[in-house]
Amino acid sequence: MTEKLTGSRSPLDLQSKLEGRTRYLHDLNLPGQLVGAIFRSPYPHARIVRLDVSRAREVPGVAAVITADDVPHHPYGPTKYKDWNILAKDRVLFIGDEIAAVAAESREAAAKAIAAIEAEFEPLPGVFDPEEAMTAGAPTIHEETPNNRPMHIRLQRGDVEAAKREAAVVKGGRYRSNRIYQGHLEPVGAMASWSDEEGLTIWAPSHIPYRARETYAAGFGLPEDRVRIIVPPIGGSFGAKYVLKVHVIAAALAMAARRPVKIILDRYEDMITAHPRVPLTFDIEIGTDREGRFLYKDLAVYADAGARVYWSPNVIATACTRPDNIYHFRNVRAEGHLCYTNNSPTTCMRGFGNAEMLFAVESVIDEIALELGMDPAELRLKNIVHEGETTIHGYRLDTCKLEQCIEQVKILSGWDRRGQLPPNRGLGLAVANHVSGFRAIDPRFDGSTAVARLKADGRVEIETGEIELGQGMSLTYARIAGQTLGIPETAITVKSGDTGRYPFGIGTLASRSTVMGGNAVRKAAESLARAIAGLAAEALGKEAVFQAGNVVCEGRTYPLSEVSAWYRARQAGEELEVKETYVPDTELPDATYYGHPSPNYPFAAHVAEVEVDPETGRTQVIGYWAVHDSGTIIHETMAKGQVLGAVAQGIGWVTMEDLLVKDGRVLNPSMMDYRMPGVKDIPEIEVKFIEGADPNGPLGAKSIGEVALDPVPGAIANAIAHATGVRGYELPLSAERVWRALHPE
Amino acid sequence: MNGEGERPIRLTVNGESVAWNGDATVPLADVLRDGQGLTGTKIGCRTGECGACTVLLDGRPVVSCLVPVASAQDQRIETVEGLASNADFQALARSMEQHGGVQCGFCTPGIMVALWAWLQDPERFGGDVRSALKNNLCRCTGYLGMMRAAEQVAAQRGETR
Ligand code: FES
Ligand code: FES
Repeated sequence: MTEKLTGSRSPLDLQSKLEGRTRYLHDLNLPGQLVGAIFRSPYPHARIVRLDVSRAREVPGVAAVITADDVPHHPYGPTKYKDWNILAKDRVLFIGDEIAAVAAESREAAAKAIAAIEAEFEPLPGVFDPEEAMTAGAPTIHEETPNNRPMHIRLQRGDVEAAKREAAVVKGGRYRSNRIYQGHLEPVGAMASWSDEEGLTIWAPSHIPYRARETYAAGFGLPEDRVRIIVPPIGGSFGAKYVLKVHVIAAALAMAARRPVKIILDRYEDMITAHPRVPLTFDIEIGTDREGRFLYKDLAVYADAGARVYWSPNVIATACTRPDNIYHFRNVRAEGHLCYTNNSPTTCMRGFGNAEMLFAVESVIDEIALELGMDPAELRLKNIVHEGETTIHGYRLDTCKLEQCIEQVKILSGWDRRGQLPPNRGLGLAVANHVSGFRAIDPRFDGSTAVARLKADGRVEIETGEIELGQGMSLTYARIAGQTLGIPETAITVKSGDTGRYPFGIGTLASRSTVMGGNAVRKAAESLARAIAGLAAEALGKEAVFQAGNVVCEGRTYPLSEVSAWYRARQAGEELEVKETYVPDTELPDATYYGHPSPNYPFAAHVAEVEVDPETGRTQVIGYWAVHDSGTIIHETMAKGQVLGAVAQGIGWVTMEDLLVKDGRVLNPSMMDYRMPGVKDIPEIEVKFIEGADPNGPLGAKSIGEVALDPVPGAIANAIAHATGVRGYELPLSAERVWRALHPE
Repeated sequence: MNGEGERPIRLTVNGESVAWNGDATVPLADVLRDGQGLTGTKIGCRTGECGACTVLLDGRPVVSCLVPVASAQDQRIETVEGLASNADFQALARSMEQHGGVQCGFCTPGIMVALWAWLQDPERFGGDVRSALKNNLCRCTGYLGMMRAAEQVAAQRGETR
C-alpha cells in the first residue's frame, strides 16, 4: 500500500483505472454542491412566445433558475463563427436548444423545477437538409447569414476541365456519410463554481481546455484569467468533448446560485442532444487515362453544421483537401458548402473530414480498377505519393512509407486469394494519410510547451498543455523524457489538465499529442539534462557529467535526489525546473489552401475481409489487417491499442451505427437502439508498423490516433462491394441497405 | 423514503456489513457510489446496456444500475475495489496493461469485474471469454487486448495448477 501511495506515477495511470480508483467528473463532489438541469426546446425551430419560471423558483430545494434575462449576451463561439448564446432569448433553433436552467439540492427537485417551467412556442418552418437550406425561400436560421451558408470553399489546382477532356475512364457519383454518435462511455457533464476572489472554475472533461477558457470567458464577458478549466480524467471523447454548452450552463448556474453546480447528462439526454459527426454529401468524380494514371478529381461537398457552428468548418476544409495528399490526382477542384439547418449542431469525431472523404475516394478508385480490369492495389501503387515529394497542396513528405504499407498488407491479408474467394466473401483495400497536428487549428500560433522539474526526491515531473484521453499520452511522454534523461519512466510523473497550473496548449485534437507535445517534452528533458550538468559543475566545482540518470564526477556517482538538494540549497527551497516550447516548421495554408500544415504525415493501408449474408444483407467482418507508417513507435502497446480501437469504431460505423434524425429529432437515443460494436462484432485484427524515424518527430514518431480510423470505412465498403458485386454509396452499409442494393426491384 | 420505524436494508459489501436507510428501490449502483463512496462502479447508461456498473452478487456479474438495493439484501456484493486486493485480480491488471486492455478506463472497472468472474469459473460462461464480455461495452480498445489479457492469465493458472 505504501508502495502504491508513494510510487503512483500520475492520476492518469493505468493501474488506478484498473482498480476503479480513477476519479472522473461523476466521482467528484464539492461541499454545498447543487444539481443542475436544463430546460430545452421541444421544437426544431420556434419563437418563444411566453416563458414563465416563477413556479419553478418556488419548488422546494431550488436554489437558482436562470433564463436569457439572467445571462450576458456576447457573441461567442469556439471558432471564428460567433453564433453561440448562453440561453435562447426569442427563438430556438433545434430540438434541445437550451432555454432555461435550474440548480437544486437534489436531482428530484431539479426535475420538478424543470417540469414546472411554463413555455409557449410558435413553431416556425424548419430546414433539415444542407442543400435545401441554401435554396431561396428556406427559413433563415441566423439573421447575419441570410443564405444559411456560413462557409463556402472553392479551390482548384491545375485545370480540371482540360483534364476531363483527356480522361479515358471516369467514375464517381453521390456518396453520403452519416451522423455517428461518438459513443463516449462517460456521459457529458460539467461542474462549476464561482467565487469573487478566484472567478469561475469549471471542471470539464475537455481536450481543448485553453480554447474552452477563451470561448467561455468571451461568452461571460470575463477576462480570460478569471476563468480556470480543470480537466478530470476523460472517460472517452473521440471528438465529443471539445467545447460544450453544458459547461457554459453549469458555470452560469454556479454564478447565479453562488454555489457549486454539477450537471451530468443521463444517456438519453446525452443522445437526444448529441453533437454527432458532421454528415457529409459528396459529389465526386475521378478520371484516369487508359493505363490507370489519375488525371483529375472533381468534388462538391455539402455539410450539415446543424443550428450552430461547433467544429464543422474544419471538418469540411479537411474533406476538401486531405486525400489529395495521398494520390497524384494532378488536377483537383473542390467546392464545399457548410450550411446551417435546424438539426442539433454537429461536430468532430476522430478522423474528421478525412475518413468520410476517403470512404468516397477509395470507393471510386475501386470502381475505376474494376472498369480497367486492374488489381485495386496495383492501381493505387501507380498513383500514390512517395517520400521526399511535396504534395499538390504543399505537404512536404520527409518520410512516407505508404508503398511499403500496401505491399505489406497484401502479404499479411493474403491479397492474392482475392480472385478465388468462396461466394459472398470479399476483400477490400483502402489507404489513408493524416497529420500530426494541423497548423490552421489556431491561425495565431502552433506548437506545444512542456515543463520539466526535478523533484526533491529525485523524481522528474513533466507538465504539458496537452490532454490525456486514454490514448496513452502520459505513458508516451514518460518514455520520451525517460529516454532523453536516462532514467526509468516509472520515475517520471506526467501532469496536465488545468489551465490555472500547466503550460498553455492549443488542444489535443488533429492527432497533435505525440508529435507536438512529445517534441516539447523532449526539448524540456534535454534542457533539464543540461541544467543538471551545469548545476553539478557549480556545486562540485569540477567537471561533471550527467549520464544514465546520475551525475558522475571523478568516479563518484551522485543520485538525482542529491542533485535536487544542491539546487534547493542555493534557491530558497525551489526545485530545478525548465520550460521549453516546440514551434514546428509548419506553414499556415493560404487562402487557396496551399501550405505545409504539419511537422509530419502518417500513412496506412488496411485490408478488410467480409462475409455478406445474401438472405439478410448482413455483413460480418471476418478478418482485418492494418499496416501503418507512424515513424518510430514509442509505446507499442498503446499505439497498437489506438489501431485496434479505431478499427472497431470503423466496423461499427460501416456496418451498424447511424444516429437517425428526422425533422431534427433523434429517433434512436439509447444504447439499445443505437448499437455499437460489442465483443462479438470484432474479428481478429492484425496490426503491423513499418518503422523508420521521421526527422521531425520526437524519437522519430508520427501520429497514430486518427489515421487508424481513416481507411476503415473505405476498406470495409470495398470488401462489401467485392463480396456482393454491388457498390454501396451511403453509410452505414447496414443489412437493410445492402439487402436493398442486392434486390433493386 | 423508508417509513419511520422501518428497518434499514442490510448489505454485505466487500465483506463488510453496511446499512442503507434510504429508498429501497434505489439502484444498487447509487447506493454503492453515493452511500459507500465506492465510485469504482461507473454509470454509463442506467439502462443495463453498457456494463460499466457491473458488480458481483454472490459471485455472479450483474449490472448494478438495474438492481434495486432491496433485492441485494442477504447477498454478497463485491465491487472492483473489493476485488482489487486479490492476487489474481492484480495478475489480470498487469496483463491488461501489457495487452492494451485499458485506455480511457471508464468501462474498465466493469470489465475487470466481469473478467475476474470469468477467471474464477470459465465454465459458467461456456468457457469462452467473449461470452463473459457480452454485456460490456468498450468504445476505446476494440476488446482484443482485454481478451488476450484474460486468456493469458487463465493459461498461466492452468500451468501452475
Ligand atoms: S450503467 Fe449499468 S449497464 Fe450502463
Ligand atoms: S477503455 Fe474507454 S471505454 Fe473502454
